[in-house]
Amino acid sequence: MKFLGKNVIKVDRELSDLDRFTLDFIKILRKHTTYVIVSGYVSILLGRARSSEDVDIIIPRIDYPNFSNLVEDLKDASFWCLQAERKKDIYEYFKDRVAVRFAKRSNVIPNIELKCAKNKADNIALEDTITIKVGRSELIISNLELQVAFKENVLKSPKDLEDARHLRNIAGGRLDGNKVRNYKRMLNELYG
Amino acid sequence: MNFTDENQGERMKFVDIWSKYVLEHDDKNWSKQQNIIINSSLRTAHMNKKQYLQMMKK
Repeated sequence: MKFLGKNVIKVDRELSDLDRFTLDFIKILRKHTTYVIVSGYVSILLGRARSSEDVDIIIPRIDYPNFSNLVEDLKDASFWCLQAERKKDIYEYFKDRVAVRFAKRSNVIPNIELKCAKNKADNIALEDTITIKVGRSELIISNLELQVAFKENVLKSPKDLEDARHLRNIAGGRLDGNKVRNYKRMLNELYG
Repeated sequence: MNFTDENQGERMKFVDIWSKYVLEHDDKNWSKQQNIIINSSLRTAHMNKKQYLQMMKK
């Protein structure tokens, strides 16, 4: 793993089934909108020794025509939505800021949990990103300070605290402690 | 220290050991080991689309 400057990490990893699934989804998603990967898969991509049944992705709010094209492209690539079949129904969930899940072919797991940005923390995740270079592909993840703060101050389950510890260890001195503290303060205001 | 705290402490120790391993070894090396966990857990996931949709109908 190589940190190439502040916002690029090169991971010359052997791809897992979860990586391939995510890359297939992102290949389509990025044609329609900006995005950011958050939560568990960020830690997994950076080496954490665990699996996940879903990959959390935040996108900005997009209008129905754009969303409809996205869903059409996803369907053409064998993705299906777990909550609804009709594009309008899927959009209703998305618009109401309910995460919509997409799996592939006849599978339910793994799935993508696609969320519409709903607050300041989500917008920061979308704006302050890190590019992960995986082979010839790229994935956009949230900055690590926000991920650590969110896991340590909002989620707080043993699994999330372990994820945060892994990210702290991997980033080492590159992790901005002040930024983590400021994010924690912001998250306390947002999530109580 | 109760069992839960002790167990969590041990898990954290392993997180430290593994992240050190990740930093000190080639990406192909650690990811090959990590993929054993990831791929096996996804392949043993037992619910398919048909079962899921039936469950949702109920």
